[in-house]
Amino acid sequence: MKLKDSSKSSRKNNKSESSPKLEIRLAIFGIIAVILFGILLGRLWYLQVLAGEEFDRLSEENRLRAISLNALRGLIYDRNNEVLATNRPSLALSVVPAVVKEKKEVLPRLAKILNTPQKEIEKKLAKKDVDPFQPLVIHEDVEERVVAEVKEHQRDFPGVEIEVIGVRDYPQGPLAAHVLGYVGEISGEELQAKKFKQAMPRDIVGKMGIENSYDDLIRGGRGEKLVEVDAVGRQLRVVKKKDSKPGYNLVLTLDKNIQQATEETLKMAISWARRKGNRGANAGAAVVMNVQNGEVLALASYPAYDPRLFIGGLSNEEWANLNAKEDHPLNNRAIQGLYPPGSTFKVVTGMAALTEGLISPKSGFFCAGKWTALGKRWTKSCWFKAGHGGVGFIQGIVVSCDTVFYEIGLKLHRSGGEKFQKWARYLGLGKPTGIDLPGEAGGRVPDAAWKKEWNKNRSRIEQKWYAGDTVNMAIGQGDMLTTPLQMAAIYATIANGGTYVQPQLLRQVLTPEGRVYREFSPKTRKTEFSTENILALQTGLRGVVTGGTGREAFAGFPVPVAGKTGTSQVRGKDDFAWFIGYAPANNPQYVVAVLVEEGGHGGSVSAPAVRNIFDFIFQASSPASEDVKDASR
Amino acid sequence: MLAVTSRPEEKTDWPKFIRKIDFGLIILAVILFAYGTLMVYSASAGGKVPSSFLNRQLVNGAIGLIILAAAAYVNYNSVSSYTVYIYFGNLVLLLAVVILGSTAHGSQRWLSIFGFQFQPSEFAKVLIIISLATFLATRRGNISRPRDLLFAFMHVGVPVIIIAKQPDLGTSLVLVAILMGMLLAGGTRLRYYAAIILLGVLAFVALVHFKVLDDYQLKRLMVFFNPEADPSGASYNLLQSKIAIGSGELTGKGLFSGTQTNLKFIPNKESDFIFSVVGEELGFFGAGFLLTVYFFLILSAIRIAATAKNILGTLIATGITSMWLFQIFVNIGMTIGIMPITGIPLPFLSYGGSSMVTNLAAIGLLLSIYRQRLYS
Repeated sequence: MKLKDSSKSSRKNNKSESSPKLEIRLAIFGIIAVILFGILLGRLWYLQVLAGEEFDRLSEENRLRAISLNALRGLIYDRNNEVLATNRPSLALSVVPAVVKEKKEVLPRLAKILNTPQKEIEKKLAKKDVDPFQPLVIHEDVEERVVAEVKEHQRDFPGVEIEVIGVRDYPQGPLAAHVLGYVGEISGEELQAKKFKQAMPRDIVGKMGIENSYDDLIRGGRGEKLVEVDAVGRQLRVVKKKDSKPGYNLVLTLDKNIQQATEETLKMAISWARRKGNRGANAGAAVVMNVQNGEVLALASYPAYDPRLFIGGLSNEEWANLNAKEDHPLNNRAIQGLYPPGSTFKVVTGMAALTEGLISPKSGFFCAGKWTALGKRWTKSCWFKAGHGGVGFIQGIVVSCDTVFYEIGLKLHRSGGEKFQKWARYLGLGKPTGIDLPGEAGGRVPDAAWKKEWNKNRSRIEQKWYAGDTVNMAIGQGDMLTTPLQMAAIYATIANGGTYVQPQLLRQVLTPEGRVYREFSPKTRKTEFSTENILALQTGLRGVVTGGTGREAFAGFPVPVAGKTGTSQVRGKDDFAWFIGYAPANNPQYVVAVLVEEGGHGGSVSAPAVRNIFDFIFQASSPASEDVKDASR
Repeated sequence: MLAVTSRPEEKTDWPKFIRKIDFGLIILAVILFAYGTLMVYSASAGGKVPSSFLNRQLVNGAIGLIILAAAAYVNYNSVSSYTVYIYFGNLVLLLAVVILGSTAHGSQRWLSIFGFQFQPSEFAKVLIIISLATFLATRRGNISRPRDLLFAFMHVGVPVIIIAKQPDLGTSLVLVAILMGMLLAGGTRLRYYAAIILLGVLAFVALVHFKVLDDYQLKRLMVFFNPEADPSGASYNLLQSKIAIGSGELTGKGLFSGTQTNLKFIPNKESDFIFSVVGEELGFFGAGFLLTVYFFLILSAIRIAATAKNILGTLIATGITSMWLFQIFVNIGMTIGIMPITGIPLPFLSYGGSSMVTNLAAIGLLLSIYRQRLYS
């Protein structure tokens, strides 16, 4: 009790001391408390009342995450409902970038079980437009082992998800690769393009071929789900969901079997050419088209590639390799390859002169083997050095007499007004046919203006258009450039009696449920060519096969075929071999064009190939013999 | 001088008996305990499953209640005669933690005895309040010699250093706050007091400058001064806490319905950041109510200090006042972004046995001081 007393007295003593009284000291405590609580309450008022709405929005953003849902890409069928492009389920491993960035131990673990360098995964995550909160696919087609590992030890893999995604698949492999094209993740440039205005970053879009030209139809629409997530990004429940819309399915005009036969035949023709001594032969193109409505049944280009190569994206290296290849396998030569048409062009020359009235089907010519109408200095010769002697127009086509067409070319030149070029363009040359594939080339119809521009850095003399230029053009040599598809379309016009039909690949668009959404009708244009003139050309073309440069190739073939050989000269290369024919000659249904680069003579390489394709189409069981020879051009 | 506190004839004296008990303080403590337990329950389980946090917090409360009753029953004046044992026993416990303790969140704070884990640094707060009060009381409310100040500093300094070594910067700071509060109440001359504050600021600068603080402690402090510096770590916690409280708005999202809480955006939501849960789920009204209760608790403690029979009681009561005031302000301040993140629990609210027992013991001490005012 001593302490009690002393403290009591001390309090009394305090009053006379210099230090403030106890009451004042305790009042200081009270004041401090009031101030501190005031600060807290004021701050709370600010956070909860003044800024409350903003924080509420932030907490919603925290809680809810919109996850974009991929749409299933539409299927592509051939005309007989054979699947050409589909989607196969694939187990894909994706990571939420924000989570693995926070949990540093995850990536090394992942790299180990995936057997990929960690750097490579990091590179994918570091791409510019990656949303840190959206699961990003970093590996498709993961092995079961990996799936099991991740699922069993999910705690060790926060932010890592395994989901089934649809991956583009081409069950026929490289078949029709150039028609179908391939798909890949949309690029920054493509995102800006009008064609892809509905597309979103990370979308898989068609890069080439049909995949590209009808991308907006088959891509479908992304869906979205709103999920509640916890702080580590685990998805707890779906709050709202908008399903993705699968894309429309496409039915092509292509016939898988004819396509296959065409591709095989083209490849075989190239090997024939090599065996016959044309060692440079390594590429070619072939087209099979319905002459009545322009439906393309086969479109082949050699060499080809496997579109499955592009699944999951090519590395820069792989891409460079594909492009660096000298034979350019990605090029679709049937619509992008530009070739002088050679003698196959003679029908255009003939039609121009006939329609202009410069000649008639009954006109007669004389071939002495050498042609000196432009002066001795500019002597030109027929491929048949001995000369064909007296030949009519139709016979000129049958034997592919150059002299006849030199004469016709000269007539066209002298008539002035570049009428020859006009009719060439009228038949669709110099511009794309409009087939529903991207990147189609237009070719070139040379004329005076073009030559002047082309040689603008050369002498005046070289800029001028001469009679010799027109004469060269008349036999399909010189600066004229065409695609195999353009030439096929011209022959279809002759075959069907004078209607230009635009080649097309799409037949129907189906809804995902299978209903017809859109039906494609042929695009045709009636030409002003007279029936008489058309008939003259048809007669000539039939004659080529029965008794002319194509006779040997089609000997014994049961279906009547009409067509034209062509051997075009390309500076510094072996001759390019053409044959374009249609059948049955009396009731034309299909036109087939085959071109073999550096294949030598059209009659000996391409004509047998066309025969084989017709053999398949008509099931004639009468394939070509390999020993066919031809020296014409 | 053992606890012979009541006389036989007082047994039936009801008015006097009622006067002996500070019912206001008890009501405040009950409200705080109930409120805290409810929030711990809501924070830990979202109301969905029985919460082990809830059960253990109830057990903590029960243990605390026994300590409270004992502290209230005992005459605090008699306790002060054991101050040497209390003080050195406390140091031994603290040292034991450093040597034997178990580690959590990168620091050693826990001691395990008979399967019970406890945190001696929590108990140290009340024990040091008692021992420091005993010493300062002998200065009779007039601390005018530097020697006395030095002794007081050493008295608190030794445990502060041991605790800081665990490291538990937060509790060290609480002890410093208690020291400052008790020096103020104990009658320190104002010019000394000003000098101490000045020295304190200089010492802090020196600590930072010579890197005496651990990396993570510095980082937390730095984040407080520059929140953009580290968006994923400590400032992320701070931001999430602010989002939680702010999004509670006026009336809150409702008990068990805090999204920030249930989706684990708030770190340590049952303990250090329990106030974020209050703010999110009960809004400004709920948080304001809690502040009001705390304010009255502080006023009660000050009133008890003012009416204490002797300077010892005043000093103990002001020590407790300082402890609570500091912890409340720093903890809540931390959750609303006006104080750095230090691991200081919110009295009565934060989950944790040692903390709960300590605070209930403090209530018990206050009740004892209140009761003793009647005997002179």
